[in-house]
Amino acid sequence: MNENDKLNILKDILLTDDREYAETIANRLKALERTLHTRSELEERIDPIIKTKLEEFTSEIPRTLGPTITETLKIEIKKSKEQVVEALYPIMGRMIKKYVLQEIELLSERVSNQLENSFSAKAWKRKLKALFTGVREEDLILSEIGNTSVEQVFVIEKNSGILLGNYAKTETIDKEMFSGMLTAIKSFVEDAFRGKGQNLELIEYELYHIHIQSFVSYYVAVVVSGQYNTPIKNKLQDIIFSFSQNFLSLMIYNPDIDKKDIVNELNYYFKNDNI
Amino acid sequence: MTISKKIVLLGHFGVGKTSLVRRFVENTFSDNYKVTIGVHILKKEMDLPENQVNLIIWDIEGNEDITATRSSYLMGSHGFIYVFDTTRKSTFENLKRDLDHLKNNYNNVPIIVVGNKNDLITSAYLKENSSLFEQVDYFTSARTGKNVELIFEDLTKKMIS
Repeated sequence: MNENDKLNILKDILLTDDREYAETIANRLKALERTLHTRSELEERIDPIIKTKLEEFTSEIPRTLGPTITETLKIEIKKSKEQVVEALYPIMGRMIKKYVLQEIELLSERVSNQLENSFSAKAWKRKLKALFTGVREEDLILSEIGNTSVEQVFVIEKNSGILLGNYAKTETIDKEMFSGMLTAIKSFVEDAFRGKGQNLELIEYELYHIHIQSFVSYYVAVVVSGQYNTPIKNKLQDIIFSFSQNFLSLMIYNPDIDKKDIVNELNYYFKNDNI
Repeated sequence: MTISKKIVLLGHFGVGKTSLVRRFVENTFSDNYKVTIGVHILKKEMDLPENQVNLIIWDIEGNEDITATRSSYLMGSHGFIYVFDTTRKSTFENLKRDLDHLKNNYNNVPIIVVGNKNDLITSAYLKENSSLFEQVDYFTSARTGKNVELIFEDLTKKMIS
């Protein structure tokens, strides 16, 4: 055995572990290479990671990008208002048209019903009423089918604008501030036209009318929805006059009249919302 | 028992009527001056030992001539707060004449005279003009809130007494 053989034997003894380790690494590298170059194996490993990351990203979008997107949209809408309106116009138009058509159909149905009953006792009564009151029969028919409804009633002290009592189908506004503002508007209009003894009698806004009836120390404002025409106005005036007559006698016989008493009176006269 | 009372704030333009009302009703103050056009109505409930009082406060537009103020705004008032700006002499030099007009035309309606923007003047200035300020009930500052509650409390007591 020469020196070289002895050295090789020594190498074998000393480096066996390292060789085995190197072989394992080489095998692992081969396996990794195979995974990297074989699509199906790579997908198997990476897909779950991408899926988790995508889910995280999707859930984070509203928080991180949401405000920026909203802001950008707002700016874009502001910049191109006309285009937005133009885009919405046909949709809105169709909706309104559909609504109007539906309402006309309903009205037509009701008018047909009224005409079908044109020889009934009610129709003859209406004809007579039209003859004696001078109100057109068409107006009387419309008032019968108009579904006029009393929404709110206010009894307001004339000068101070202080609310004496009110009746409300639905509570929507600060009634005391409303009374003050209505009085201010009423006073302003009456002052502006300098018509002594002239009173503001009606305010219209969209589907509502505020019927105003003035007395010496107070006035009554009735908010009505639906049809508002001469017969309705007459009927409202009659109810308010009856209320006022009773209210005044209450005031005369009981100067310490309470707000509750006025509210009770109003409930009595206006509890039947439909006029 | 709840009762309602109408209070009207009077005085020249820019004396701080709206600021006083805002301080009293909303406890806020702003340096941005926006002129009142027509009338602005606010409400505040005040609890007194015997009654609860709903104060309906009419903050009307300023006018340099009180006789030109729309009388329909003043009619039916239960109390007046006459406000002037302590830093602008033009807003209080006719104070006596204006108060006489109110007393003559709205007899028995209590009036509180208020010198506002008190935070902008010195005690020396007050002393100098003391003769002009004889009829003043309170010096207030809508900015700091000084005496604001007090003027409304005092007037409410006068109105229900």
